[in-house]
Amino acid sequence: MGDGPAYGYEMTKRLGGRGLSIVGEGSIYPLLGRLERDGLVQTHRAASNGGPPRKYYSLSAAGQMALEAGVKEWQVTRDAVDGVLGLVATEVVP
Amino acid sequence: MSEFVQECLREWRRLGVPDAVANEMAADLSADLDEAEAEGGSPEDVLGNSAFDPRRFAAAWAVARGVTGPPAPDPAPAWRSVVAIGLSVALALLAVVALLALSVRSGSQAVSVAVHRFAVGPGPIRMFSPGQVQMPPFVKTQFASANVQPIALAILVIAVIGLGLLAVLFWSPRLGRRRNRRDRGPRSPSWS
Repeated sequence: MGDGPAYGYEMTKRLGGRGLSIVGEGSIYPLLGRLERDGLVQTHRAASNGGPPRKYYSLSAAGQMALEAGVKEWQVTRDAVDGVLGLVATEVVP
Repeated sequence: MSEFVQECLREWRRLGVPDAVANEMAADLSADLDEAEAEGGSPEDVLGNSAFDPRRFAAAWAVARGVTGPPAPDPAPAWRSVVAIGLSVALALLAVVALLALSVRSGSQAVSVAVHRFAVGPGPIRMFSPGQVQMPPFVKTQFASANVQPIALAILVIAVIGLGLLAVLFWSPRLGRRRNRRDRGPRSPSWS
């Protein structure tokens, strides 16, 4: 969503293009619904390319803050795991 | 509108989702499915494994959005109550008759008297007014030729066990809570 507003299927394609095929877990719609309910995304309707009007999702201010906090938390977790795995690799590889 | 979307609409109505919201969700879903089809894709490209279970998908989406209404009244509980009450009354009557048969002296005449008293005889509990029904002679004769106490005892045991099972199956608070949980509908997906 950081790349700009997107409707449901468009977001699925974006995620799939980056190797995140989350649709297999139950589709993106419930996830977007929860984000909307929690006020983390805002929506608007706009015409798509020759198709019917679509519901576009974009980050709200609260969603932007949550995203930044989540990214920081993920980086801290990733660094910690990388540190542990680095120690393991050092011990395993002579 | 595809059969999948129509099934979703039915589920949303069942869950009490307001019509405007349900129609909006259906329109969005239809547009996405049409786009995937136009690109040569399948519903699975849009919905993943949920493409095979529209009701579960629709419920998960509605619950995640927080747009479900109060659960629709389920006609089953009222139907179950009528059956439970009817069975309880029948079993209680059986137990009373069996107790009457056991409480009097063993032997045919006493049972015959008890049955006759219950059916037409004097007293506060009787099925017919005095003189309305005459017990046919062969009834007395049949009762007279058999010792019905073992049968009465068996009937009493069956009636008591039946009443116990009914109490557990229909009136248990624990099962009632389980039914209520089931009636409240599905929970949110585990990953949401």
